Amino acid sequence: MNRLGTVIGFTFKNKVRTKSFVITTLLLALLITIGIHLPFIIQLFIGDDEGGANKIGIVADGSTEIAQQIEDYIAEVPDNNIEFVRMEDGGDTAALNEQAQAQDLAGYLLIVSAPPGPEGTQETFPQVQYVSDSGSIPADVQIVLQPALESAKTRFITEGALTDEQIAQLTTPVQLNAVSYDKTSDTGGGAADGSDDPFSPMDFITVYVLMTLFFFSAMLTGNMIASEVTSEKSSRVMEILITSVSPLTQMFGKVIGVFLIGLMQIGVLGVTIAINLMLPYNRDVMAGFDLDFSQLPVDVLIYGLIFYVLGYFLYALLFAAVGSIVSRTEDLGQAVMPLSMLSLAAFYIGIFSLNNADSLLMKISSFVPFTSPTTMIARIGLGEIAFWEIAVSLILLLLSIFFFGWLSAKIYRTGVLMYGKRPSLKELRKAMKAYKI
Amino acid sequence: MTERLILQNVMKRYGDKTAVNGVTLGVQEGEIYGLLGANGAGKTTTMRMVLGLIYPDEGSITYGGRPYGGDVQRMVGYLPEERGLYPKVKVSEQIIYLAKLRGMDGAEAEKNLKYWMNKFDADEYYDKRIEELSKGNQQKMGFIAAVVHRPQILILDEAFSGLDPVNVELLKLAVKELRDEGASILFSTHRMEHVEELCHNITILDRSNTVLQGDIREIKRGFPREQILLKTSAAVTGLESIPGVTGVEGDPEGYLIRISDEAAAVPVLTLAMGQSEVRHFEVKEPTLNQIFIRSVGERHE
Repeated sequence: MNRLGTVIGFTFKNKVRTKSFVITTLLLALLITIGIHLPFIIQLFIGDDEGGANKIGIVADGSTEIAQQIEDYIAEVPDNNIEFVRMEDGGDTAALNEQAQAQDLAGYLLIVSAPPGPEGTQETFPQVQYVSDSGSIPADVQIVLQPALESAKTRFITEGALTDEQIAQLTTPVQLNAVSYDKTSDTGGGAADGSDDPFSPMDFITVYVLMTLFFFSAMLTGNMIASEVTSEKSSRVMEILITSVSPLTQMFGKVIGVFLIGLMQIGVLGVTIAINLMLPYNRDVMAGFDLDFSQLPVDVLIYGLIFYVLGYFLYALLFAAVGSIVSRTEDLGQAVMPLSMLSLAAFYIGIFSLNNADSLLMKISSFVPFTSPTTMIARIGLGEIAFWEIAVSLILLLLSIFFFGWLSAKIYRTGVLMYGKRPSLKELRKAMKAYKI
Repeated sequence: MTERLILQNVMKRYGDKTAVNGVTLGVQEGEIYGLLGANGAGKTTTMRMVLGLIYPDEGSITYGGRPYGGDVQRMVGYLPEERGLYPKVKVSEQIIYLAKLRGMDGAEAEKNLKYWMNKFDADEYYDKRIEELSKGNQQKMGFIAAVVHRPQILILDEAFSGLDPVNVELLKLAVKELRDEGASILFSTHRMEHVEELCHNITILDRSNTVLQGDIREIKRGFPREQILLKTSAAVTGLESIPGVTGVEGDPEGYLIRISDEAAAVPVLTLAMGQSEVRHFEVKEPTLNQIFIRSVGERHE
């Protein structure tokens, strides 16, 4: 036990001080900080223009009624920051452009009446153009203008046959709410009213974050372990090490040491996120996303962490074994390929099934040890699952850790004595026999 | 004197190839035991078995009467032929780490490390990384790493290869010091003069078999003396015609006379004294080098 601690300490201390680790961590922290500040930075830039309000010109060209309707509709939109300026139709676009620039407008709406059709047909709705410097509509402006135009169009076509309420109903999109069985039964089948929160975004976010975290730590730390082992082997320190400590102690020391490094890295990034979110100006932005951290699903988090740790060990042990059969770091990439593919598969099966957590694929893969760390989290968080299923999956995962831990220790013991080209499975088995391992 | 490290009829096969065929030897306390052999003779395999890296198919190895185990690991030190240390880790850190792995506490390890660093005149490398050191200095650090935990059994595979004469002397002194402190040292090298200087007993392996074993002086006695070194003040003629002389090389500064029979020595000396003043006359003992080449080389032909 004492020597295990020594190995863990040495691995941890040396890895933490490497330049690559420090730089990666700082870079990730910086990226996260920038990412979180992005909405704020964008606001800062927008804020420079006209104190928040978008001034848009409107050229009626005879269709003043439509122009009026658009203005009325927009005026009723809450949090509206669009301000309309009536512009006189000078007849030619050059004059209009000049006028728009002179008045410092973001752009202007040009309503072009369609030429009257043959006698007896209804007049068609005029074409509307948004003319601006860049020739494109900013997303926030379009979101407001689109329904305004639709409403005006409905009014135009029905020509007063409908009341304002009917028109308002027509233009609002139909709400389709998804609710699970137990929720509908709780509220006595009152799913349609949508008053009880049917779907917590926090569940989704937790599952998503756990899966991504698992994938990245399995890949990054796994590769770290494999390359550590290979470099020990290629620098021949290995021969001294395995005469000092049992390979099992050595392997677990390495795996745990790197695990602690991974934890520390996650910790640093977590603190970075927390600090950034605490900043007053970011708090408002987060409030805008309508996230409630008190809704954090604790059970998903706990199960997630259990699966995360166990899954990590399963992968890490295999990465260590692979690292031990390679003699040179150049060959490592190729050798860890199958493991990378496996973790990639686990990640993608989970991510692509987030909206369909109860599919057959998910059910099967949540019992396969290599994919269960991601898919089980998804099923617990987003799907329907019985407790026995979680238990069985956990036991399978534990058993496979013991099995692959034992196998990895054997491969490790043999692999570190074999130099030269990467051995095939057959050669490895032969060597194991020869070395009596 | 008790034998601390004992190999009994140790045998190792890789597939259908026998790597080591029934080696038996014993290393006493305070002894440097020479394990010699051509490349591929089975030296490294033997050493690896002693280290517990691989297990013998037959025979037994005991360490102070005990079989291999965790406590044996702590009393063994090993300097591999291709010595390895972490290239990017500070010398002090990794050597203390290795000592701790062998069950020594940190403070004592540091004390020992400083002692050896000072002895090897390498204090300034304490905080350097291995990759910053020259090859010879790396080797010295490797040696320190092997002995820092005061092992009772020390295995040195080609300990002096690649070192300049000054450093060879330094390391030789260190090995002798460890021997005098009572360590049992299993020593392999291709440099026969080192063996002659350091070892009492040797085993010569050839293609996995033991071909020669025992006390060096007795081994030498068993081989006929075949050379006479003769130094005279003037030229000596007619040496070739003496019965038993098979060849003469050199000049009055030093004739090297090959003989097939030691009885030829007296006539050679008489002839030389008759013709000139004899400054040096020696019936040479066979060197270990010659013995090695005879016992290993002849079989290769």
